[in-house]
Amino acid sequence: MSDRLRQSATLLGFALIILFFAVRLPDTFLTARNLLNISQQLSMLMVVAATMTIVMVMNDFDLSVGSMASLAGIVAAVLFVADWPIWAALSAALLVGLLGGVFNGILVAVIGILPFVATLGTLTVFSGLALYISEGTTIFGRDIPAEFSGFARGGIPLEALGLERLKIPALSLVAFAVIAVTWVLLEHTSFGRKLYAVGGNREAAHLAGIRVVRVRLIAFALTGLGAAGAGLMFAARVASANPTQGAGLMLDAIAAVFLGMTMTKRGEPRVLYTLVGVLMLGIIDNGLTQLRVDSFIREILVGLIVIAAVVVAHVSKRRGK
Amino acid sequence: MTQLAFSDMSKSYGGTPALADVSLTLTGGRVHALMGENGAGKSTLIKLLAGVVPADEMRVEVDGKPITLRTAADAHAAGFRFIHQELNIVPQVTVAENILLGHAFPRRFGFAVDWAALRKQASDALAMLGASGMDLNAMAGDLAADDKMLIKIASALVAEPGQEACLYVLDEPTAALTGAESQKLFAVIERLKARGAAILYVSHRMDEVMAICDDVTVLRNGRHVMTVPIARTSKAQVIQAMTGKDVADAYPPRASAISDQVVARVSGDAGRLRSLFFDLKAGEILGVAGLAEAGQTELLRLFLGQGRVAGGAEYAGKALPRNPAEAWARGVAHIPQERRSEGLMLEMAIRSNIVLPHLKSAFASLRAETRDTLAMGQAVQMKMEGPEQDVGQLSGGNQQKAVFARALMGAPKLLLLEEPTRGVDVGAKWEIYQLVRELSAKGCAVILTSSDLPEILGMCDRVLVLQDGKQTAILPTQDLTSADLVTEFYDTESTPA
Ligand SMILES: Nc1ncnc2c1ncn2[C@@H]1O[C@H](COP(=O)(O)OP(=O)(O)OP(=O)(O)O)[C@@H](O)[C@H]1O
Ligand SMILES: [Mg+2]
Repeated sequence: MSDRLRQSATLLGFALIILFFAVRLPDTFLTARNLLNISQQLSMLMVVAATMTIVMVMNDFDLSVGSMASLAGIVAAVLFVADWPIWAALSAALLVGLLGGVFNGILVAVIGILPFVATLGTLTVFSGLALYISEGTTIFGRDIPAEFSGFARGGIPLEALGLERLKIPALSLVAFAVIAVTWVLLEHTSFGRKLYAVGGNREAAHLAGIRVVRVRLIAFALTGLGAAGAGLMFAARVASANPTQGAGLMLDAIAAVFLGMTMTKRGEPRVLYTLVGVLMLGIIDNGLTQLRVDSFIREILVGLIVIAAVVVAHVSKRRGK
Repeated sequence: MTQLAFSDMSKSYGGTPALADVSLTLTGGRVHALMGENGAGKSTLIKLLAGVVPADEMRVEVDGKPITLRTAADAHAAGFRFIHQELNIVPQVTVAENILLGHAFPRRFGFAVDWAALRKQASDALAMLGASGMDLNAMAGDLAADDKMLIKIASALVAEPGQEACLYVLDEPTAALTGAESQKLFAVIERLKARGAAILYVSHRMDEVMAICDDVTVLRNGRHVMTVPIARTSKAQVIQAMTGKDVADAYPPRASAISDQVVARVSGDAGRLRSLFFDLKAGEILGVAGLAEAGQTELLRLFLGQGRVAGGAEYAGKALPRNPAEAWARGVAHIPQERRSEGLMLEMAIRSNIVLPHLKSAFASLRAETRDTLAMGQAVQMKMEGPEQDVGQLSGGNQQKAVFARALMGAPKLLLLEEPTRGVDVGAKWEIYQLVRELSAKGCAVILTSSDLPEILGMCDRVLVLQDGKQTAILPTQDLTSADLVTEFYDTESTPA
C-alpha cells in the first residue's frame, strides 16, 4: 500500500507543478510551441539520462558523462577543421565515447575500482583531453559544416496538423529513438534481465552463470556512447564546440534517474521513469525561467526537489521491510 | 513456573493473512515445538513475539499479568531472546562484537567500551555451546555457515547481569549445523530448561523435534491446528496435521538403474583438496560428506570452474568448465549453500530469479518466463502470491524452493546440490527428491552435500568422504549406517578412537 502511495506521490507532485505553471502562464506554458521547445532543450539530457540508467540498474554510476560529451563535441569539431567528411568525424567522435566507456568499464569491472572513484578520475581525464585538443578555445563559425548544424534546426513539419511553422525538432526525434532503444534493451532483452540481476546481487548473478565482468563492461561502453552522442547533439544545436559545454549534464542525468526511481515498483531504475524524471526537471526549469525566477534560485529549488524525492523513496523503502 | 500466554495473534501482509487468531501458551522448563509447512506462519509468529514486525492483534500475559510488546526493546526487556531464521550477522565486524550485538556493551568509566569484558562475555557464551575454540577477533563474514549459526546462538545466550531471560526462541537453528554441533545445541537447551526458561523451537527435522521437545503446536496456512504434548502424539500425526495428508518422512527409493556412461572424472589435487579420485556416471547420485568445512563446497564448485585440478579432470568428455557461465551453458546446475547471499536477488521478482541462468535468446519473453515460473513453482510446491512477488517476501523454505526451481529448470546433465533442502518442509522435501529421482532416471548425474546425514544415506548411491580436504574413502551407501559414516569422518590414524 505504502508502495503505491510512494509511486504515485511523485507523479502527483509533477501534475501539480504543471497545473501551477499552466495557471500562472496561461498564454505561453501549455502551448505546442513551448512543449516542442522544451523537448528540444531536453534532448541531450534525455540521451545521457537514458544511457545513465543502464549503469545505474547495476547500482553503478558514471560521473564522466558530462566531460565525455564535451570531449566528443571537440573531437568532431577538430576533425571538421581538418576537413574530414561529416560522417567520418561523427563516427570518430562516437568511437571516442565508446572507448572512453570501455575504459571506465575496465577500471570498474576488471580492476574493481569503485565506480565513484574510477569515473571521477576519468571525468578529469576526459575534460583535460577536451581542453588540450581544443587548446581551451571554442571552435565555431565556418569550421562547423552547415549540414551539421542545419540538422539540429530541422525536423518534421506539423503543417498537416494545422500547426503552421512548427516542427518536431530533429534532436527530439533522436532522443526519443535513443530512449526507445534503451527501453527495448532494458525491458525486453536477456541482456537487460542480466543487468538487473547484477544490480540485485552480483555474487548470486555470477554463480547463476552471468558473465558479470562482460555485462558491466558493455553497460559502461553504452553509457560512454550515449554521452558522446549527446555531446554531438549539443554541438550541432549551438553550431560550435566548447571544451566545457557538457558540464551540467552529469548531475541532471543522475537526478533524473533518481526521480524516476521514486516512481517504480521496487525503487529500481526504469528508463521510461527516467524520462519522466527528465521532463520534470526540464519543465520546472522552463516554467521558472518564464516566471523570471533567478537562475541561482532555480538551481536551489531543483536540488531540493531531488533531495525530497530521494528521501521519500528511501524512507518508504525502509518502512516496507 | 513462568507462564507466557500469547493470545489472538494476527498479522496480514497487504491483505493476505499470514497468521490468523493464533494463541499459544509457553511454560517455563518445557520445550515447545512450532511446526508447519513452509509459509505456514511460524517465522511471522516469532517476529510478532520479538516485536520486529507490528502485530495486527496480539495480547501477551506473563504469569497472568498483561504486558505490552510493540518493539524489539519491549521483547528484550521482557526477557525474550531470539535466534531468527535468516542469518543476520554483520560481516565486517569481529565475532565477539557480533555476539554482543543487540546487548549493552560493557563499559569502563561509563563510556569507553570495555573490550576485555566484552570478549569475556562472548567467550562465555561460546563456551556454553562447546565452541570455545573460535577466534573472537576473526571477521564474522569470513566464517563458514555453521560457525555463523553458532555466533547467532551464542548471541542469544549472552548473560546479562541482573536480567534473567525467561524465553528463548529458536527458528530453525540446526538447519546449518552438523550432527555433532546440533548435539551441543541440544545440551544447551537442556541446561536452559533446567534453569526454568521456556523454549519455543522451530525445525523441519522431525526426528529432532520428537526427541527434544515436550509439546508441539501445529500451524497450517496461518491458523492453529493442534497443540499436544509430544508424548501423546507421533511423527505421522504431526505430519498429517501440518500437511493435511499422509507423507512419509523418508526418501523415495531409486527406481531405475544407473548407466555405465561416465559423465565426469576427477583425479588429483585441487588447492586444499587432495587425493581426489572418483568418477560419476549418468544418473548416479554421489554424496560428499565429512566434518564441517572439510572441503565439500570446494569439491562441488570445481565443476563451476572455481579452482583448478592438477591431474586429470573432465566433464562430458571435455575439460571442466572454466566459470559458472560456461558450466550452466554445458548443462551444470547449482544450488549454493547460502541462498540469501549467493543464491537470490531478494528484491527482485520470483520470475527473474528462476529464469536467470536460462536466458538464451537475445530477446526475452515475459510470457514464456511467467509460464516457466508457474510450472517450476508448482513442481517444487512453492507457496507464492504470483511470479512477480519479491523473492525476499517468501518464507525461508519457499526461498529455498525458488533456488531449487532455478536449478531444475532446463533439464540439467549435472546437478550440484549444496544443502539443497535446508529449511524445506517434510512434504515438499519428498516432492523435491522425487524430482531429483526423475532427473536421475533421465540420466542426470547429481553431486550432493548435506549436513543432514540421513539425507545423504537416503538419496545417494555412493558417498565420498573428505577429511580436511583429503579424499579418504568412497563408499556405497547400501547398508551403510549414520554411525558408520560418522566414524569415517575422523582421522583414525592420528586419533585412535
Ligand atoms: N514481508 C512480507 N511481505 C509479504 N508477505 C510476507 C512477508 N513475510 C512473510 N510473508 C508471507 O507470510 C507467510 C508466512 O511466512 P513465514 O515466514 O511466517 O512462514 P514460515 O512458517 O516461517 O515458513 P518456513 O518454514 O518456510 O520458514 C508466507 O506466505 C509469506 O509469503
Ligand atoms: Mg520461517
